[in-house]
This record gives sequence, C-alpha cells and structure tokens, in this order.
Amino acid sequence: MPLKKIADFKIERLEVLDQEGRADEALVPAVPKEKLIETYRIMVLCRVFDEKAFKLQRQGRLGTYPQILGQEATQVVPAMCLEKKDWILPTYRGQGSYFARGMPLVNSLLYWGGDDRGVKFPEGQNDLLFAIPVGSHLTQAAGFALAAKLRKDPSVTLCYLGDGSSSKGDFHEALNFCGVYKLAAVYLVENNQWAISVPRQFQTASQTIAQKAIGYNVAGIQVDGNDVLALFKAVGDAVARGRRGEGTTVIEAETYRLGDHTTADDASRYRSKEDVEAWKQKDPLKRFKLYLLAKKFLDEDADIRFHKEAEREVEKAIEEYESYPEPNPLDIFNNTYAQNPWHVEEQKRELEAILKTKKERQGPIVTQSEGRFP
Amino acid sequence: MPELNLVQAINQGLSQAMEADDRVVLLGEDVGANGGVFRVTDGLYKKFGPDRVLDTPLAELAIVGASVGMAIYGLRPVCEIQFEGFLPAVMDQVICHLGRMRNRTHGRHTIPMVIRSPHGGLVHAPEHHSDSPEAYFVHTPGIKVVVPATPRDAKGLMIAAIKDPDPVIFFEPKRIYRSIKEEVAQEPYEIAIGKARIAREGQHITLIAWGAMVHTCLDAAKRLAEEGVQAEVIDLRTIAPLDIETILASVAKTGRAVIAQESPKNCSVASEISALIHERALLKLQAPVKRVSGYDARMPLFRLEKYYVPDTDRVVRGAKETLQF
Ligand SMILES: Cc1ncc(C[n+]2csc(CCOP(=O)(O)OP(=O)(O)O)c2C)c(N)n1
Ligand SMILES: [Mg+2]
Repeated sequence: MPLKKIADFKIERLEVLDQEGRADEALVPAVPKEKLIETYRIMVLCRVFDEKAFKLQRQGRLGTYPQILGQEATQVVPAMCLEKKDWILPTYRGQGSYFARGMPLVNSLLYWGGDDRGVKFPEGQNDLLFAIPVGSHLTQAAGFALAAKLRKDPSVTLCYLGDGSSSKGDFHEALNFCGVYKLAAVYLVENNQWAISVPRQFQTASQTIAQKAIGYNVAGIQVDGNDVLALFKAVGDAVARGRRGEGTTVIEAETYRLGDHTTADDASRYRSKEDVEAWKQKDPLKRFKLYLLAKKFLDEDADIRFHKEAEREVEKAIEEYESYPEPNPLDIFNNTYAQNPWHVEEQKRELEAILKTKKERQGPIVTQSEGRFP
Repeated sequence: MPELNLVQAINQGLSQAMEADDRVVLLGEDVGANGGVFRVTDGLYKKFGPDRVLDTPLAELAIVGASVGMAIYGLRPVCEIQFEGFLPAVMDQVICHLGRMRNRTHGRHTIPMVIRSPHGGLVHAPEHHSDSPEAYFVHTPGIKVVVPATPRDAKGLMIAAIKDPDPVIFFEPKRIYRSIKEEVAQEPYEIAIGKARIAREGQHITLIAWGAMVHTCLDAAKRLAEEGVQAEVIDLRTIAPLDIETILASVAKTGRAVIAQESPKNCSVASEISALIHERALLKLQAPVKRVSGYDARMPLFRLEKYYVPDTDRVVRGAKETLQF
C-alpha cells in the first residue's frame, strides 16, 4: 500500500526589525508608545547594571555573576507582555526579566554577593526565585498553569529557559503536560547559542528548538531575539492564545551571549572573536533605539538622560548593597520548616553559643583556608 | 617527583587510565574543549580525541543513564556531573539501576563506571555549588564512594575507581582543588578503595574525616597538641565501604572519637560511623562519639557558608567536650 501523509508541520521565524532598526510595518504589533519607551529604558538599565556588576565582581565586591549582555531584549520584552497577576519563572541569568517586573536592583546585587536577603521580592506580584539547577523549574511552570486552569483563573505562566536547558528531560515532560492539559503557558527559550562551552549545534541535532513543540502538539515559533518588536508580537500573541484557553507556546528567541558564561568563565578557550563581533552588530539595544529615533518616540537627549538615570540608579543600588548590615549567621536556620524541629533549634543555639565565645575572644571567625571558584 | 595539586593529580590519573585501557571514556558537560569548569579534564580532549572525551548535551540524567548503558556494553565510562548540586537529578539511575544491576541480574550485568563530581563548600560559589550530598550515595547499596584529601591519594584512587568492578562515586573536594600540592609519582599506581589512612598519629582522641575536612582536623590536631593533647587523624579516603578496622583500632587506642563533616547531620555518614563505633566498641569508649557537622538546614549563600561548614574552632571545641566528658 502506498505511504500516506498523515501529518504536516512547519516552523516559522518572525523578524520585524532589520539590523538598521527599520520595521516591516505589516508586522509591527500594537504596543503603546509609552510601553515601548519604558521597555527601552529598562533595557538601558539592564545594560548599565550588567556592566557595573561585572566590574564589581572583578574588584572582588561581588561573587560570581552571569552577564546578560546582548540578551536585554529576550529578558525584558516577554516580562513586559504580562500582567501582574501572571506568574513568571526566570532563569539564573534573568536579572533583566526581574527588573522588568520591578524587582529592586539591590536584590540582585545581594544575591550574587552571596547574601540570602536578596531573595525578598516585591509583594503582590508573582515572580518565582530562579532555580540554579537549570531546567528544574520547567515542570513547575506547567504546574502553575495547571493550577490556574483548575481554579479557572485567566492567568498565564511565562517560563524562561536556555538552549542548553532545552536538552533536559524536564523540558519535554513539561511540554507534554502542557499539551495534554492545554495549559496557558509560554516557554521562552533564550537561545544564546551557548551553554557554557557547548555550542547550540552540539546541544541538539534538530534544526530549531522551536520545532520541539511539534512533538507535544503545542505551538512553536522562532523569533529574532534581538528584535524587540518581533518579541512583542510573538509573546503578545502567545499570551493572548493562553488567555483564550488555546494552550501553550514555545518561543525560541535567537540571541547571543556576548559575555563569558559567568565571571568564572573564559570564553576565549572555546569560541572565536569573529563570532562574537558578528553578533555585536545585531545589538538589540542599538536596533531598537534606531527604530525609536526614526519614529520620533525618542531623541538623543532622552537617550542620554536614560543612560544617566540608569547610572545613578545603579550607583544608588550599589551603595545600598555595600552599606547593608552584616547578615546574621543564625538566619541559616530560619524557615527550614514552618516550625523548626528540636534538632534544628538545638543546632541554632549551638551556633549562637559559638558566636558568643568568638566575640568574647575577638579571635578570627574563620580559621580555615578557603578555596577558589571555580 | 613533580609536585601536583589535586586537579593535576586527578587529570594525570584519568590520562594514565585512558592510556592503559581504551575502554575508558570520559563524558560530561564542558569536559572537552573547555577541559571542565575546574580544568580537571584539561588537555584530554586534545590528547585522546572526540571518541574518548565527549562533550554532552546538558542532561545529567542522560549522562549517567548513558554511562550505565555504555558500562554494561563493555566500556569503562567516567562521567562528570559538573557540580554536586546537580546530582539529585541523576538519583533515578543511581538508586534504581547503578547499585542494583549486579544483584538484579545475578551478576550477569555489571556497571564498572565512575561518576566524578566536585564536593563541598567554602569557595564562594553560587547556590547549589557548595553541597555535600555523600550520604544519599552511601545509603544506596551496591555503590562505592570515594573522597580523596590529597593529590597523591586522588590520583591513586581515581585509577583504582576506574578499574573497580563496581560503580564508584568519586567526590573531589573543590576547596582544596588547588590549595594543596605534594609530590606525586609519575607512574600509574593504585590506592586501595576501602582503606583509610592515618594522617596523623596520636593516642588521646581520634578525629575522623574525609575530603577537605581532613585538613581542618589536622589543623585542629595541631591546636590540640599545643595544649598537650595528641589527636589521631583518620582520613577515611573511602566512605563506602568504611574501613571499620582502622576506625576501631584507633578508637580502641584513644577511647574517644570526633567525626567532622560538612554535610547536614541528620542520617549522615557521621551518624553511621558513630553508630558503628558505639555498636562495636562501646566498652572501649571513655565518652560518647561526637559529630561535628554541617547543620540540618540548607547550605546558605556564601556570605554565611563559613558558619555552616565546621571550622578548626568547632572541631577543637568538639574534641574538648569529648575529652572533658
Ligand atoms: C542541572 C544543571 N546542570 C548544570 C549546570 C551548570 N550550568 C550552569 S549554566 C549552564 C549552561 C546553561 O546553558 P543554557 O541553558 O543555554 O543557559 P545560558 O547559560 O546560556 O543562559 C550549565 C551547564 C546547572 N546550573 N544546572
Ligand atoms: Mg545558552
């Protein structure tokens, strides 16, 4: 018997802005001017923050820090497409996503400075603390969306991940849940071409990451992740589909990690300068700025003002970070349980006694050698 | 003899094991061109090529599951889990297959493989990069667990782990990856798995540790010596199976024991050692065995990690309480 075609699939790529910031007007999403300008302002803030955080680490004033340089659009724009009641689950490289949701800059500094007090998020909005074991939040996102569905809440869950994390079983298990229950979730894959030293083509043999959606009967699309308007359109559409009860979307946003993996990495060991230079030409900030200038939504003066304001805001955050009181070692035990059992309380008292004798002796708190990361 | 640090010693052990046996294959995230995030596999990709050193997709469970398959097929995989904080994801393979295959198949299929992973805190690392999860593995039947404390042992134990007929979890204490150097013999050699080392002799009290904590205990022993107390320090080297003879012989001599570890205390390796000593040497003891331990709380971010990981002071304190019992 002749073979019959029983299914047919295609994967599309969306681009709205070209490298000079000229838009394909037919595709421009309806986003209010004020929102576009606010998006640009936050992207500038991200860039300035990132630069300063990197320098702080180099000066020994911050711990290991993952730069977001070049990924400002993929982080900020999707978060801008949501409402407060919606849940977002960013990645560890997600400062931009959090800042777009209004998280104070100082939180990020505290966290990457090794201080647990950095995790206090603003009240009243639904942002989850990122997971360091990458990909382990992907099934949780399906859980948020499933809970919303069971409660008949019209909220949408936005979950970020990297190209590397898409290799974990978690991604596939999560999408399968989403497909089966038709959940209002958006998986935003920040494909920055690298997972530490492993390039995208060694991560998966498939042509795109977007096409992974097909296997689970959820929507999938690839977008130019350095194109703010393409992101607004793709994520906006995906969120709307979710709200209408039409299910999940995987958005593969192609971008590039312009910096090292983290401040503990040296990318020159595994990638060429030319590759990086080529991607610098596609800078999301530059392209968006050219668009805003052409539209007269922005002028050079306003741009300078945004940069100056960002500098001030970041400086202020650094000051606040560095003048934070020392963390209390006894905080280690807090919130281990709703009500700590006897052994945890006993250990807390034990440490309290040690701290007291140390204070009395005025001796060094640490008497052993420390190592270096990595 | 050249002086090597722990990273270089493990690298040499891996390299020599690969030279000696072409079934030995390395795999893991970033172990190839990048040489591993700690550079433990530095140069091996260049030396042995992509069929012996494999950069894998980011998928810990698949790294271990694939290694299980490769091992049963006849290879000797040595896989790397980049940080111990990502080991929980592989426990499905570890508990359900790694430790059970020999027994389930009546010895027909065996899994001679090694899982390497860094271990422990105090390197100012991000969250999930400073844990001590050895108890989960020690608790699992059919698996050996090795934690070297010196470059010389690290090389010999690595070669022994690769040759071992059973699966071995090889923890590498990252705090001392580079801080300790010693002369390491150039030629390949093995250090027997399951044999502890007396790192310092003494007759008043026994301090028991593994990995980086051995050095904290040696420091503590020096401090105690200033006060006339001679502490014996046992570097376990292997925590599954435990070298019960060495432990009991030392305790029979000293009558007192302190076990120091970084992991949480509840149901930990120290708990097991303490139980064994009490069960088998109760009448030799002058005081209850003491556990100086990390806490039954999450390892905090690095500003507070120095309070979580026992330091010399805490070991000395524990020893004094035991001596004064
Ligand atoms: C489960 C797990 N394995 C390994 C790591 C170590 N690690 C941190 S980031 C990273 C690469 C992640 O790549 P990708 O998902 O593409 O995100 P990106 O770093 O590019 O933002 C790795 C291997 C981790 N954090 N979690
Ligand atoms: Mg990536």
